[in-house]
Amino acid sequence: MGDQYLRGLGMSARVLIGSLAATLLTLACYRLHADFASVIPLYVLLVVLQALTGDFRSCVIVAVISTACLDLFFTEPLFSLRIDHPLNALALAAFVITSLVITRLVARVREEAKSAKLQKERLNRLYQLAQQLLVLDPDAPLGEDFLKPFRRLFGIRAVCVFEADSAELHLVGDSRELATKTRDAYIRGLDLDDADARVAVRRLRTSGQLDGAIGFEGLEDPAETAGALTALTAALLERKIAFHAASASAAAAQTEIYRSAMLDALAHEFKTPLSTILAGVGGMREAGPLTAEQEGMADTVENEAARLGKLTSRLLRTARLDNEHIRPRLELVDITAVVAQLIRQYSARSSDRTIFLTDGQEPVQALADPELIRLMVGQLIENACKYSRPGSVVTIAVQRQGEFILIRVSNNGSSIPRNERSRIFERFYRGEDAKRSTTGTGLGLYVARKIALAHGGALDLETEEQGDQVTFCLKLPTTKDELKHALTA
Amino acid sequence: MLSQHSSVLVVDDESALRKALRTSLTASGFDVEEARSGEEALGTVQQHQFDLVLLDVSMPGMSGIDACRRIRGISPQAGIVMVTVRDQEDDKVRALEAGADDYVTKPFKLRELTARLRAVLRRTRMSEAVEPVVLRAGNLEMDLHDRILRRNGEEIHLSPKEFDLLAFMMKNAGAPLTHVKLLRTVWGVEYGNELEYLRSYVRMLRKKIENDPSNPEYILTEPWLGYRFRDPSDPDSPRESAQDD
Repeated sequence: MGDQYLRGLGMSARVLIGSLAATLLTLACYRLHADFASVIPLYVLLVVLQALTGDFRSCVIVAVISTACLDLFFTEPLFSLRIDHPLNALALAAFVITSLVITRLVARVREEAKSAKLQKERLNRLYQLAQQLLVLDPDAPLGEDFLKPFRRLFGIRAVCVFEADSAELHLVGDSRELATKTRDAYIRGLDLDDADARVAVRRLRTSGQLDGAIGFEGLEDPAETAGALTALTAALLERKIAFHAASASAAAAQTEIYRSAMLDALAHEFKTPLSTILAGVGGMREAGPLTAEQEGMADTVENEAARLGKLTSRLLRTARLDNEHIRPRLELVDITAVVAQLIRQYSARSSDRTIFLTDGQEPVQALADPELIRLMVGQLIENACKYSRPGSVVTIAVQRQGEFILIRVSNNGSSIPRNERSRIFERFYRGEDAKRSTTGTGLGLYVARKIALAHGGALDLETEEQGDQVTFCLKLPTTKDELKHALTA
Repeated sequence: MLSQHSSVLVVDDESALRKALRTSLTASGFDVEEARSGEEALGTVQQHQFDLVLLDVSMPGMSGIDACRRIRGISPQAGIVMVTVRDQEDDKVRALEAGADDYVTKPFKLRELTARLRAVLRRTRMSEAVEPVVLRAGNLEMDLHDRILRRNGEEIHLSPKEFDLLAFMMKNAGAPLTHVKLLRTVWGVEYGNELEYLRSYVRMLRKKIENDPSNPEYILTEPWLGYRFRDPSDPDSPRESAQDD
C-alpha cells in the first residue's frame, strides 16, 4: 500500500514539475514574441525530457498541457482554442502525434529495461540458490537446510516440501495451511494456485515419476518464479535418488564380492586338510593289514573325503564362473555324446534315480565349450536328481530344432511353485522348499544360464500348470555348416 | 616293484600333510624326505639326489613353479610331480612348462598319488633306455620304423600327421601333454595357438582307435590343458579325469 502511495506521489511531483516547465516555457516565449513555428521544437524537447524522467502517464499530461499552451498562446486567434489557419492545425496535430509517439517509445524502452533488470535479479537469485543447495549433502533429506535458502533469497513467507519416498514433510516459515496444501497437491496430483492466499504449490517430478510437491507462500510473481524453483528442487531430488541407488548398488556389489571371495577362500582352504585325511587313510591301509571292518571304515573315510573334495571343487568352479565373464573356448562338440557321458556318470552316483536319454541317439554337433556344456548340463541333471523324490525318473532329450539344439532335462515328482518360477535363475535365490530339503548355494542355475547365454543360447523353465513334472530347456545354436566344414577339414 | 627304495622329497608348507605323506609313502615303499619351502627344497636337492620330488604349487615364499624350474636345473633326472588345485588349470600348464613331469590335484587319494609317482618314475627311467621301435598300448601296436599302426592286429590307415601325433602321445604314454607342446612338437615351433587343428586331429584319431570315441580310453582329455595318452593295460594309469566331479 505504501509503495503505491509513494509511486502516486512521485507521479504527481513529476506532473507538477512538467506542468511548471510548460508554463514557464510558455511565459518566456510569449514575452519574447516567439512565433508558432519556432516554439514547436522547444515543446517537443520539453516532452522528450519529461519522457526520459517520468512515466507514461505524466508524459501524456505534460503533452496535453503543452498542446493547450501552444493553441492558446501561439495560434491565431490567441487565447482561444480555435485555430483559424489550417496549416497551424496540421502543425499542432503533428506535434501531438510526435510527442505521444516519443513518449510511448521512451516509456516502452524504460519498461523493458526495468523488466530485464528484474529478470536478471531473479536469475541471479536462482543461481545463488542453486549454488547453496548443491553444496548440501546429496544424501540428506530436503529439510530445513534445504528450504532456508529459498526463503532468504526469494523473500518467501513460507516454503514447504513433501517427499513421497520417505513421506516426510518439511516446512520453513510461518504458515498454517501451506503444509496441508502441499501434501494435498501431491495426493491429488494437481498443481495449485491460490492468488488470494498468495500460495503456489507445484508437483515434483523426476524421470517422469511423481516424487513429491513443493509449496510457496508469499512468492512474488509465482507465474514467473515457481516453475524455475520447482525444476531446481526436482533436479536435486533426482540427484538424491540417483545417489541412493548408486550407493545401494555399490553396497550390494561389495557384499557379493565378499561372498564370492569367501566361497573361494573356503573351498581352497578345504583342500589341504582333505588331502591330509586322504593321505592318512591311505597310509593306514598301506601300513598294515586291516581287518575287513577296518578296511570298510577306511573306505568310507576315503570316499567321503574325496566326495567333499569334489563338492569343494565344484563350488569353487561355480563361484569362479559366477564372478568372471564367461568366454567359451569353442570347439565342435557332439552334444549327444556329452549328455550320454553325463548320464553314465550321474547314474553311477545316484542309484535311486533312473536317468535316461529319451530322444537323441543321433550325434548332434554344436560349436561350444565342452567343459562348460558338461558343467551346465551336469548342473541340470544334478538338480533334477536333488529336488525329486527317490525313485523318480529323470529324462533327457536332445533334439535339433531349426537353428537350435534343444536339450530338455525333466524330472517327475517335484514342482516349482508359480511364484518362484521367475526367480529361480536369480543369483543366490533358493526356493522355499529347496531351502528346507537340500543344501545349495543358489548359484547353480544362475551360472548355468550364464553359460547358456555366453554360448548365444538360452536356458528356460518349462512347467505345465498342473502336474509334477519340471523341465528345463537348454537351447544352443547349431554350427553353421561352412564353419563346421572348416573345422573338420 | 619299481618304487622300491625310490627316494621322494615332499615339499609342502603344511606340516600335517607332510607328516601324513611321510608315513603313508614310507608305508608304500618310498624313502621320504621333507622340505617346508621351495628354498629349503633347493638346499636339500643340492645335497642329495632324489628320484622324485613332490612339490606343492602354492607355498609362501618361493612359489612352487619357481622351485620346480630351479630343481629341474639342479637335478635334471628327478621326476617332479606338482600338487595343484583342480580349478587352476593355468598353474598346471605353468608347472608343465617349468619342467614338471606330472601333477596331482588336491585332494588326492594315496593310491592316485602313488600311481602317478610310479608312472613318472618309470617314464624317467625309460627315457634313459634306448627308444623301442615298436610301441604297444592296449590293443594298439605302433611300428615306428615302418610307420604302421595296428589295432587288434589289423592295420589302420593314418595320415602322416595323425601318425606323428599318435606316435608322440604313445611315446609319452601316461604324461600330461599340453596343447602347445603337442602343436609345437608335431606341427612345428611356429605353432601354438591352433587348437582347432589339434582338436580335429584328435577327433579323427579317436574315431580310428577308440571303441567309443565319445568315451575314450586311449586319448583322454585333460580339461583346458591338453591330452594324456593312456595305456589301458597299465595298472598305474586309471581312467579318471577331472570330468567326474
